[in-house]
Amino acid sequence: MPAARLALSAVIVFFSLIISAPRSLVAADSGEYIAIRKQGSGRIALVLDRAQTDGRQEAGWAESINSVVHDGLDFTGFFTLIPPPLNVRQNPAGKGQSVNFAALNSIGAEIYAGGKVAATGANITFTAEVYEALGAKPILRKSYTGTPGEIRSIAHQFCADLVELLTGKKSLFGSKIVFVSNKSGFKEIYQCDFDGAGLEQLTSSKSITLTPVLSPDGRHLAYTDFSSGRPALYIRDLSTKKTLTAAKSGVSIDPGWRNNSEVATTLSHDGDQNIYLLNTAGAVLRRLTNSKSIDLSPTFSPDGGKMAFVSSRNGMPQIFIQNMQSGEAKRLTFSGRYNTQPSWSPAGDKIAYTTWENKGEIDIFVVNADGSALKQLTAKSGENEAPSWSPDGEMIVFSSTRHGRKKLYVMNASGENQRPLLHIDGDQMQPSWSLFTK
Amino acid sequence: MKNRINGTLAIVLLVTAGCSSKSAVTSTDSTAPKATPQVAEAPVSPAAPGLATSHAAPTGYGFDKWQTGPLGDVFFDYDSSSLSSDAQGQLKQNAGWLSSNGAKKTTIEGHCDSRGTSEYNLALGERRASSAKDYLVKLGVAASRIESVSFGEEKPFAEGQNEEAWSKNRRAHFIVK
Repeated sequence: MPAARLALSAVIVFFSLIISAPRSLVAADSGEYIAIRKQGSGRIALVLDRAQTDGRQEAGWAESINSVVHDGLDFTGFFTLIPPPLNVRQNPAGKGQSVNFAALNSIGAEIYAGGKVAATGANITFTAEVYEALGAKPILRKSYTGTPGEIRSIAHQFCADLVELLTGKKSLFGSKIVFVSNKSGFKEIYQCDFDGAGLEQLTSSKSITLTPVLSPDGRHLAYTDFSSGRPALYIRDLSTKKTLTAAKSGVSIDPGWRNNSEVATTLSHDGDQNIYLLNTAGAVLRRLTNSKSIDLSPTFSPDGGKMAFVSSRNGMPQIFIQNMQSGEAKRLTFSGRYNTQPSWSPAGDKIAYTTWENKGEIDIFVVNADGSALKQLTAKSGENEAPSWSPDGEMIVFSSTRHGRKKLYVMNASGENQRPLLHIDGDQMQPSWSLFTK
Repeated sequence: MKNRINGTLAIVLLVTAGCSSKSAVTSTDSTAPKATPQVAEAPVSPAAPGLATSHAAPTGYGFDKWQTGPLGDVFFDYDSSSLSSDAQGQLKQNAGWLSSNGAKKTTIEGHCDSRGTSEYNLALGERRASSAKDYLVKLGVAASRIESVSFGEEKPFAEGQNEEAWSKNRRAHFIVK
């Protein structure tokens, strides 16, 4: 029984979890290791040891992999990263010696991650070895191979496997964030990795581009573009680089994907701003809302059965949820006079949105899809806007003016650990996190 | 708070219903009750109260430094796309010019102040442009001569976070083509 190998406190946590939330326990790796983690419970104490190498070039690679893995695991917020004790190897003078679990246990480490880095032809092979420290039991041994230019990807593949093993959930490694920046003097769309690295400019409209959002599979990017002189929906196939536009008069505002082949957006060609469903060729499939007021910002439940959106049908903008089959819409938000920018969580249970407060500030809130358990995540920090969930549902990216200009920040889904995502010139806004992790 | 807003909106609706005798376009009497919705609706920002009364709206409808003419711009209250009587007066002038210059076309750009969220402002800007366009069409200008577009809060006329700047940015801006 796995619990027998754990410290007494962990055993208590284990049993209380079985009673209160059995589903948060997930057996991974054929039941070899059972992760015990619950939102808000303790972090996993992990010792990350630099991989063993023969030779100077390999040592440099190992150093780089170690650094990327360290930052990646730290970013997730799941771990307390403990520096390896000096005697982490049983015989420090020798090479390839086995791990000194007594030393790890004495500093309270739960998990030890290390391994070997070797050159295989032109490639690097990182063979990761992960142990549960208390039982000295190997729980993961896997090799990752790539070119020296792919060190980040090699390290993140390992991070993804490790997080999935220990938490039983898909991780955010490999996911992308698209957003708008005016750093070039125009509002253009950019993309970066989940941690802000790998910045890439996606549009060069020299006009105004807004509200980018990636399809769940990452194949298409939908956004609003003023290049034609009016805001229109653009859909770009990221593999062929071909961009289509929805040929409708009026304006298009703030698209949201229902699935890989259907995107919803506000169109106004009929005189009022209603939400329509389109295919990836930009053709209208059907009209989703029919009100004389403003309807916008569609975001869908993971199964596509429900749509949350903003409507001014009752006066000030509020968030509603519409059943896609019956067309029936129910108001979701009753607190706050001006609620916009809904984002449906990947697990389907929550909706994040923003409230424009009476003081002039804008704050991010999270509410269950049934309207219960309203929680404020930001406060007294300027305008906090455009929340978007990470693919694992553990984090939220948003823009904030807390330090002056509008910049991107991330936080845990509970609102804790709010911190800047990336440091680039200009204003950054309207971030949208991909659902894919590749 | 919610009740107060609804109550205020109800009053505005009653007022507008009372003033717009013949046209379907709603109008807000700009003289007396105008201050009411602004006070009730606009979140009072620390800098605003003093400015709000001295610069309630740009005076002298029509021409300011951002307008090259001959068509004058019209201005809107906070979160509103309703046409005030001043705005209707300017639109009547614009309709007159368009009827005597039948070869000309116009584009009406809807703009918003920077408060609130940008996606919603893009929709609000379009409603401003549309309400100006609809009014001109009711006055007899062919709809095919008027294009409307929204820039939301994307192209502000005046910079600054105070009512003086905001009031200049809540407009339907006319461009002659």
